[in-house]
Amino acid sequence: MASATLRLAVCASLFVPALSAGGLAQSRDAKTIVIVTPQQATVPIPTMMEGAQSATTNQEMADQLFLRLAELGPSLVTSGDKDFVPRLARSWSRHDSLTLVFELDPRAKWQDGVPVTAADVVFTFERARNPQIAPKLAGLLRHLTSVTADGDHRVTVRFDRAYAEQFYDATFHVQPLPSHLLAAAASQPELPHEFVANPVGNGPYRWVRSVPGQFIELAANPDFFLGRPAIEHVFFRAASDPEARMNLMLTGEADAMDNVPAPPSNIQRLAAAPDLRTVPVPSPVMGYLLFNQRDRTDHTKSHPILSDPAVRRAIALALDRQTMVRATFAGYADVPYGPVSQLLWIRKGSPHAAGRDTVAARRLLTAQGWVDHDGDGVLDRNGQPLALTLSYPVTSEVRKQLSLLVQEQLRQVGIRIDIARLDGPVWNERRTHGDFDIDFSSVVQDPSPSGLTQAWSCTGGTNVAKYCNPKVDSLIDGAIAAYSDAGKRWQAVLRQIEADQPAVFIYASTYVFPVNRRLNRVSFHPASIWLLLREWSAK
Amino acid sequence: MRRWLLRRSGAALVTWVSAVLLLFFVMRLAPGDPLDRLSGDRPITPQEIAALRARYGLDQPLAHQFAAFAGGLVHGDLGVSIQYGRSVTALIAERLPATLFLGGAALLVNFTLGLWLGVQQAVRRGRAVDRWLTGLSLAGYAMPSFWLGLMLAWLVGVRWRLLPAAGMTNPLLAVDAAFGTRAMDLLAHLILPAVTLSVVSIAATMRYQRRAMIEVLRFPYILAARAKGLPETAIRWRHAWRNALFPVLTLFGLWLPILVTGSVFVESVFAWPGLGLLAAEAVSTRDYPLLMGAALLVSALVVGGALLTDIAYAVLDPRVRYA
Repeated sequence: MASATLRLAVCASLFVPALSAGGLAQSRDAKTIVIVTPQQATVPIPTMMEGAQSATTNQEMADQLFLRLAELGPSLVTSGDKDFVPRLARSWSRHDSLTLVFELDPRAKWQDGVPVTAADVVFTFERARNPQIAPKLAGLLRHLTSVTADGDHRVTVRFDRAYAEQFYDATFHVQPLPSHLLAAAASQPELPHEFVANPVGNGPYRWVRSVPGQFIELAANPDFFLGRPAIEHVFFRAASDPEARMNLMLTGEADAMDNVPAPPSNIQRLAAAPDLRTVPVPSPVMGYLLFNQRDRTDHTKSHPILSDPAVRRAIALALDRQTMVRATFAGYADVPYGPVSQLLWIRKGSPHAAGRDTVAARRLLTAQGWVDHDGDGVLDRNGQPLALTLSYPVTSEVRKQLSLLVQEQLRQVGIRIDIARLDGPVWNERRTHGDFDIDFSSVVQDPSPSGLTQAWSCTGGTNVAKYCNPKVDSLIDGAIAAYSDAGKRWQAVLRQIEADQPAVFIYASTYVFPVNRRLNRVSFHPASIWLLLREWSAK
Repeated sequence: MRRWLLRRSGAALVTWVSAVLLLFFVMRLAPGDPLDRLSGDRPITPQEIAALRARYGLDQPLAHQFAAFAGGLVHGDLGVSIQYGRSVTALIAERLPATLFLGGAALLVNFTLGLWLGVQQAVRRGRAVDRWLTGLSLAGYAMPSFWLGLMLAWLVGVRWRLLPAAGMTNPLLAVDAAFGTRAMDLLAHLILPAVTLSVVSIAATMRYQRRAMIEVLRFPYILAARAKGLPETAIRWRHAWRNALFPVLTLFGLWLPILVTGSVFVESVFAWPGLGLLAAEAVSTRDYPLLMGAALLVSALVVGGALLTDIAYAVLDPRVRYA
């Protein structure tokens, strides 16, 4: 009897929650959606997203709450202002080559009902240009000399030099904050806790609540001056494990999720689900083999092998990048020409990256004296084998797979590659300090090509491989300053970098977003994935 | 007893302080840097890193950093997380309940079902039930928790749609939902991660309990009880089981820190918003303040668990007090 009661209790304890869970999964209406992301936004507040808080998740959440003066349009051209669409600013004009004037939309209001004014814009730019508050933003806005208000709705932005991305710099990096709520903390890096915990924005969605580690709830802003979003409630649910995210999609507990992680079979698995479809979107991610130009143990000396451009060129020719990328990404990536992800507009019109030519690779190496003297399958010169270490972080499955292919293809031309799979922080430390031969790097690029200065110019802050060609620096300077023929000038930069071969550019990946078929008018903005959420609707 | 307790507590405190010291310096000596990471995927210049280094005090000599940490610790301030930009104390306070809830549920299953099954095996020693339970528990013990979690989430959550595949609560549940509805939702989300943790760990409890019970059942006083004609249930639970609990007490002390550390994979697979996941993230990002906060808690649980076990032994067996 007691045993039967126990059995009954166990069954009941399992089935009652199960029935309850099943019921809850069906309770979503057409005005509510759930999006699952790897991380939860922690500080989605403009001018506070610095350092570790500069994570994409924070920026994506901030984009729902705060508007920019103007938004980057679908063609992602950051040069000039033709591809920008009005947001907080309803119009703009150029006073001279150093001055832009924005007219704010008088309909724009903060979610507490107070109108958005020029004072808010000036207040936020003052914070953003202060390196003590926002060192990264201050660096990006270094060419702005002043931001001033002329009445309630006119803002004047002045620059120290004429260049094609003035408009981009004045609009993309900064989203105005409500000065009437934050004036007391104007010069403090940290804003009041009440504001950070419950931000008041001017965007299509307003903040409802955050349950730490679980989700953030947003609600449509009923007074949004550009039109109330069709979806009333959005839940951004956090799940760091890719399997957990995919399970939430497959069970219908989530309607959309961020990029499907490798391997490509995951995409097939999600696409095969009857309720789901996948949407490919150009991504800002680019992966490349970075050649160290300096000796890894003594940075005052050139690298004994890789400082020779012929060896670098031979390595590039020995790799069948197209096949490697097709095998790894199943069509959701391409081989870039130069250091450009799919996000950068300057890739338009680029030639195809060079294909594999092992004969030419061997010829180049032989000409430099690299011959297999001892018959061990590895080329050598003056007793030194042509052996290099390829390092990458243990967390990257894509780079792991590609590294094995690189190792095998280089072995076929007599180059020995030793793979160093490193713990993320160790890999970062070694990379930052130039302690590597070949580094399998991956970069998340901003839409602006001027970001290339950081990694590919002689004085670039993230130029860890110490690649330096003054001609490239000069070409980059010219391209940044150019108005009319910026595209052609950037192409010249890419051609020169490809000729110098400081790296082999392996992949520019495509994001793949699974979404539930009950969602309509779904579109993604490559520069900020959920930016167009306000246009979505659901059945 | 009081002197013994003071001495034992003092030793525990010294152990804990030593662990804290060791953790602080070993952590900083380990390769990797919390700010170097920022120059990885999304470019950040050395100047910006230098500014951030100054903001978090990482530009100070190690001794100064330790003094600042110890000074904060005295006041209950564990600093600000580099990754989250928030107070470590607040972050731990947010995440600890979820971990304790999950770990507590797993412990409860372990020390109820596990003990009961261990006793059942002992009294049926050598029979089919004993052999089957041994096989099953060892199979569970041999299974990696993340694999079992993935399988359960896929089978029960995705294929059968019986229980939620991930998360701790349904975000769509109204904030003002009835207590019963919220409790059922929580329970539905708890079952799979708790079962995963329990299946992997229950084997140890069963084996310890079985072994101890078999030994106790051989003692002459059990034979005497049977000779007196006491019912078998009374002999088993009132006379034998109480004395067979000692070895399991040791196990309980060992399991306490596993409340936090043991659930890292399970929390990840089921997106359970606990401290284990937070600590794992802190390790991979070298978020020193958060890592120290988590390490302090785990070391306190290790030392506290051992102390509690000793005290329990002393209360149950007076001979231990003089050891």
